[in-house]
Amino acid sequence: MSALSTYRVLELCESVGGEYCGKLLSDFGADVIKIERPGSGSPTRGLGPFGGGEGAAQERSGLFAYLNTNKSSVALDLASDAGVQALAGLLEHVDIVIDDHADGWLKRAGLDPASFAEKWPGLVLCSVTPYGQNTPDDRRHAEDLTVFHSSGWGYHTPGGGYDALPPLKGPGRFLVSYESGMEAAMCIVAALYEREETGKGQFIDIAMNEVMASRADYVLAQFIAGEMDVSTSRGAFDLGGPAGIFPCQDGYIYVFMATPQHWGAYLQLTGNPDWARDLPPDWLMKGLTPERIANCRRDLCAWLATKGKDEAAAEAQALGMTLVPVNDARDLLASPQYVHRRYFAEVTHPVLGTALYPTVPYRMSETPARIASPAPLLGQHNAERLAVLEGKGA
Amino acid sequence: MMVDRKRGGPLAGVRVVELSKVWAGPETGKHFAFMGAEVIRIESLGSLDVTRYDSLTGDINKARGFHSVNPQKLSAQIDIKAKEGVALVLDLLREADIIVENLRPGAMARLGLGYEAVKAVNPGIVYISMGMYGNDGPLAYQTGYAPCFNAVGGLSALVGYEGQAPTGINIRYADSTYGSAAAYAGLVALLHKRRTGVGQFVDVSAVEAMTSMVADTVIDYTLNGVVHGCDGNRHPDMAPHGVYPCQDDDWISIAVPSDAAWEALAAAMGLAGDPRFGSLAGRKANEAELDRLIADWTATRDARELVADLQARGVAAGKSQNTIDMISDQLLWERGFYPEVAEPDGSSRPIIGPSWKMTRGAEISDGAPNLGQHTAYVLGDILGLSPDEQQQLAAAGITR
Repeated sequence: MSALSTYRVLELCESVGGEYCGKLLSDFGADVIKIERPGSGSPTRGLGPFGGGEGAAQERSGLFAYLNTNKSSVALDLASDAGVQALAGLLEHVDIVIDDHADGWLKRAGLDPASFAEKWPGLVLCSVTPYGQNTPDDRRHAEDLTVFHSSGWGYHTPGGGYDALPPLKGPGRFLVSYESGMEAAMCIVAALYEREETGKGQFIDIAMNEVMASRADYVLAQFIAGEMDVSTSRGAFDLGGPAGIFPCQDGYIYVFMATPQHWGAYLQLTGNPDWARDLPPDWLMKGLTPERIANCRRDLCAWLATKGKDEAAAEAQALGMTLVPVNDARDLLASPQYVHRRYFAEVTHPVLGTALYPTVPYRMSETPARIASPAPLLGQHNAERLAVLEGKGA
Repeated sequence: MMVDRKRGGPLAGVRVVELSKVWAGPETGKHFAFMGAEVIRIESLGSLDVTRYDSLTGDINKARGFHSVNPQKLSAQIDIKAKEGVALVLDLLREADIIVENLRPGAMARLGLGYEAVKAVNPGIVYISMGMYGNDGPLAYQTGYAPCFNAVGGLSALVGYEGQAPTGINIRYADSTYGSAAAYAGLVALLHKRRTGVGQFVDVSAVEAMTSMVADTVIDYTLNGVVHGCDGNRHPDMAPHGVYPCQDDDWISIAVPSDAAWEALAAAMGLAGDPRFGSLAGRKANEAELDRLIADWTATRDARELVADLQARGVAAGKSQNTIDMISDQLLWERGFYPEVAEPDGSSRPIIGPSWKMTRGAEISDGAPNLGQHTAYVLGDILGLSPDEQQQLAAAGITR
């Protein structure tokens, strides 16, 4: 039995954050019914990467296929009065509603966050928006990029030393959305835990900007408490030292060096170079100078020049140095560790065919997440699901 | 003894024991604490969390990093390298719902605190085990810190300037994400336990948590064989999509997801109707020129005024916020993101609060604990040891 298989979720979402939240629940067995606009379906169906195949364009999005595993799809026009009325009828039969439209949309759909509990006291309603409920006018329009930059991460990426170039976006297109969807799923499950005892639902307001800012809590807390000096420096989040990305024979590695143990390993790897002979063993903690860092990096690069990234990592790790490969997607698919943990699962989709999908980063001994069915075709479950929801079916 | 429920919140009544260090494991516990659980850190001077050492303050009870990620928790000082200490922890785990650990793979088992040992005393326990590569497997012996997780998980390779070596996202990214993934999985297990009485082992991998943050990029490889690298601020579905200079060394981020948004931006820039940029395909084909025109246009403007102007026109734009902006962000203060908490010494300070707002959230009132501040509570109130027994344990150096 999957952990969430007795819960029914209505997903009103039309972007990545809310759909990812729904996926995190559906991969644990929750019965997630996705409401899609008739005709074109969820806008994520229009985003790549697209697979080949003969089917309709709206069924070829790899993004949609990834985000909507284990869900069913019901086409219903929530922009119409009839749709809003139909939605109200469905709410009797669900435990959870997830939405990621702009602040204000839920109220127009008949689910006012301030008052829905009067009608549906057991409902857990979760809203995922860029800046939360009551968004001020100067934050109303947002994308993952702008949230990444308002949350403090953007300005400090990559970090100090790049002042002539613009600060950067985060990895991939949707990191902010995935983070927020995960936070939403976490809060929903906590609310369900409480509901087991109280029978009460509640409203959960997820602001993507705050999710991202809280991800920097370790440093941001020190700025807010006045323990570290705030500034306009793009290096304000950085750590000193020789850590960084370095080229090797077949790509790049990342090395982190901060302790006497790391230094001991470095000396073994590089054959005790002359410049390092009289350095105190804790210089990485207490004796950083530009010259020492430059020397350290130079000899590391020389050692790396003849090594592949996995080979370098294995040799360095055996000595206690935290050196790892900089992987791309191809490396991840080939990783013996990812294979061992079965991180990629084969999924067969009626239009996209069979492909490996990333799964989840946790292995559960009793209630593992699993992909039992591919993402739905648009409106695939209209007949059966509407009947069940309206109390006409099993 | 029953868990104190006075702070409310969805996890009121839940007891969590944390044997975790640095940032990721403590982040998992922090989420639980922020939801109302009683979170007890087991600590000892002999194997102290390095974040309790702060070269600036020189005081293990005033360590800045530790304070950041351990608010609203309790601390019991128990030496887990002594077998009497392990026995005490097992006794405590009998009374707990969740354990969170992020020691090296295998370390808990060697201490006698592995899953089987804990399950033997508490079959309903949710045992959250965290490792860079997860609990087992051919590479599980390797260790690393947050930026290593980014590199291994496939994130670092995607961040950098076009045509240059990757730089990766800021060095601080990863631990909190990984800790949050562990918290989500742990809560699913906790819910299952409440409904069935069955506990379980939750084995969380940091590097897989990272890969999940770029999963659609990986799908492009598994579907189409496409491997992505770093490409500055480019986005396949949006143009413009970038970060542009403003007055006073400020930067503004602008993302245009539709032709309508482009028309609004073009009107502001005096580029309305420019045939090169009318469609996404046109803007992508002329993106370097487009970025140059925008950067020239933004460079002489005040970032905040420009954000307000573009927002009024319906364009997604925001200031790229530095640390001064972050601590003075009115919206964050108004939403209660920086709650004030009481410190053990009676002073108060603002912290980073929960990201979420819930109808019945937990009260957030306390800062991070002093080392061993709650040892007596754990030994006496929870485990029911008499003052004499507690004194004997302290005299033997097992507790403090």
